[in-house]
Amino acid sequence: MAATNRIELLTVFRETATEVAEKDFHHIVETASIAELGIDSLGMLEIIGSLERELRIQIPDESLAGIVTVKDLLNAVEARQSVV
Amino acid sequence: MAPLSTDPKLVPPTLSEALRLLGDRTDRGFTFVRPDGTERFCSFQEIHVEARRRAADFHARGLKKGDRLAIAVPDPDEFVLAFLGAVMGGIVPVPISPQLSFKNIEGYHDTVSHIANASGASLLLTTPGTRQFVEPAVQRAPKLRGLVTVDEIAPAQGSVDVAIDPTDLAFMQFTSGSTSRPKGVMVTHRNLAWNSESFMIHGLAKDSAVDKGVTWLPLFHDMGLIGFVVGTIFTDIPVVFLPTASFVRNPKIWLDKIHQHRGTITYAPNFAYALVAKRVKEKDLGALDLSCLTRAGCGAEPIQARTLRDFAAKLAPAKFDAKAFLPSYGMAEATLAITFVPRGSGVRTDVIEKAALEQGNATPATDIERDGNQELVNCGRPFPEHEICIVDEQGQRLEDRRVGHILTRGPSVSQGYFGEPELTADAFKAGPDGHTWLYTGDLGYTVDGEVFICGRLKDMIIVRGRNFYPNDLEWVVSELPSVRRGNVVAFSVDAGGEEGVVIAAEGLSSEAAALKQTIAEVILAHFSLATHDVLVVPQGTLPRTSSGKPQRRKTRQLYLDGTLARARVVQGTQASNDESGSGA
Repeated sequence: MAATNRIELLTVFRETATEVAEKDFHHIVETASIAELGIDSLGMLEIIGSLERELRIQIPDESLAGIVTVKDLLNAVEARQSVV
Repeated sequence: MAPLSTDPKLVPPTLSEALRLLGDRTDRGFTFVRPDGTERFCSFQEIHVEARRRAADFHARGLKKGDRLAIAVPDPDEFVLAFLGAVMGGIVPVPISPQLSFKNIEGYHDTVSHIANASGASLLLTTPGTRQFVEPAVQRAPKLRGLVTVDEIAPAQGSVDVAIDPTDLAFMQFTSGSTSRPKGVMVTHRNLAWNSESFMIHGLAKDSAVDKGVTWLPLFHDMGLIGFVVGTIFTDIPVVFLPTASFVRNPKIWLDKIHQHRGTITYAPNFAYALVAKRVKEKDLGALDLSCLTRAGCGAEPIQARTLRDFAAKLAPAKFDAKAFLPSYGMAEATLAITFVPRGSGVRTDVIEKAALEQGNATPATDIERDGNQELVNCGRPFPEHEICIVDEQGQRLEDRRVGHILTRGPSVSQGYFGEPELTADAFKAGPDGHTWLYTGDLGYTVDGEVFICGRLKDMIIVRGRNFYPNDLEWVVSELPSVRRGNVVAFSVDAGGEEGVVIAAEGLSSEAAALKQTIAEVILAHFSLATHDVLVVPQGTLPRTSSGKPQRRKTRQLYLDGTLARARVVQGTQASNDESGSGA
């Protein structure tokens, strides 16, 4: 699946997070902090790994450290998409 | 039993000597897989040279034999070279988790400064990328003279010769125990040598001609560090290291690397086998051939037979042999391994009656299918020169199939916690025969000398290999304005093959919904721990002891049989995702 714009990207994230974490994340908004999602860091890495496969990108570990909100994460994804 | 003054016979007496002996091996060594998938091969010769270079650099920076060097380095190659560099220089490395969660940098700073202070480290080694995250902690660790990054290590060929005795401290392993106060287990070269001989030779029956390890385990914990860096250097075994984050993002990479490198030995906690069983799709197995894998160790957290069976079933098409499973038992205080099953015996279990278990008896179930039976995994027996025993609350030895406190002793067992005489005296003390034993804090029983682990004496909760003490969780929740101290209970339940944390708190019904959310958030923020369930119950619902303390085991029982749910003010949901998911 290719996510061509921000809205699609958020949709992909919502679906991936819902599938991986087995919790309903269909209504997550970008400003939500990762801490609010009730997922530990391993769980978040699982979601990121799934997103990476889905979108055929790789987010470097360095850019993961600063991620606090869903928005930060989507920014990191977008940054990699523009590289490809 | 061998006296503590004896060296093991089958491996060199110190880690530094073991590495020196491998110093001419150009064809064997460690392979480090980077996050982008490329590989760096470091021969044992190169590792030896690089470690000596680092030892010289550390000494040039003023570190002397016996000084402590804190290491917060995420890259496995740089970590291994720094760790061994310290060891070659007689300096005591103190590994610190470099892992960052996606929140709560404050908690990380607390951990780093606590370990730096408690170990008395004089220098902190990190990487340019991690520096920004550890730097604020340096200011809170007055004994630290400074911080240095791996790229600053002098390129010049240098060397320093330090005489190292088997009784010297080799490194300090901070336990992942109570998050509020990790303790530094003192591990000597002799401890390392004995335990390496034990698990590599007596346990895994290693064959240096064919064996190869493959691991993604974090190297700042005993299983990854001693299992795959130390034990393998003592016994000349090549290893392929993967970044932990690569495995979690894509669990199949673990299997791919075993296949590609023809790995024979791997090791992981239960949750990792569960992750593979869940995430890896049968259609993705392709030409994967795991017939090479003859030892698949499992330890560090309670082992679920069901998880291992699911893993074996999922990977049967890839020729994974379930006989390769090697359940085992160990802990940092015993250097690493305490008991192993014989190679090739796979998962053997004991199905016992739950009702009898609550009375301290491990009675084999007559009706194996009946609900309420408990299936426990056989974790094997202690190594030569080591022993275990089970004692009751009065410290008297118990016979087979009686559940009690597991004790162990032998030359692998540490002398105690650094700078913590009281905690040391609590855990390392006289046993039934007057000798000093390690009181493991685990509950279990033996059958013909083989051990089964039932639980933990102190209600410790282990989630994905991380240990949490209910006291710590309860304390943090008690600090919330609408919760009174003593009105919170934390315990764990089985949540699909792994432990899930449940918090039950007494609160006002009008605030219940918001409180549930707040509790889940505060636990996540402080411990990076996602709760499985949070319940807010009316005042007076939690069972208490005669002195008024909430009873964890009884609360857990009420939760499991549904009594607590009926007292709920609102229906709990798993980690209250319906509220938090749409939050903000």
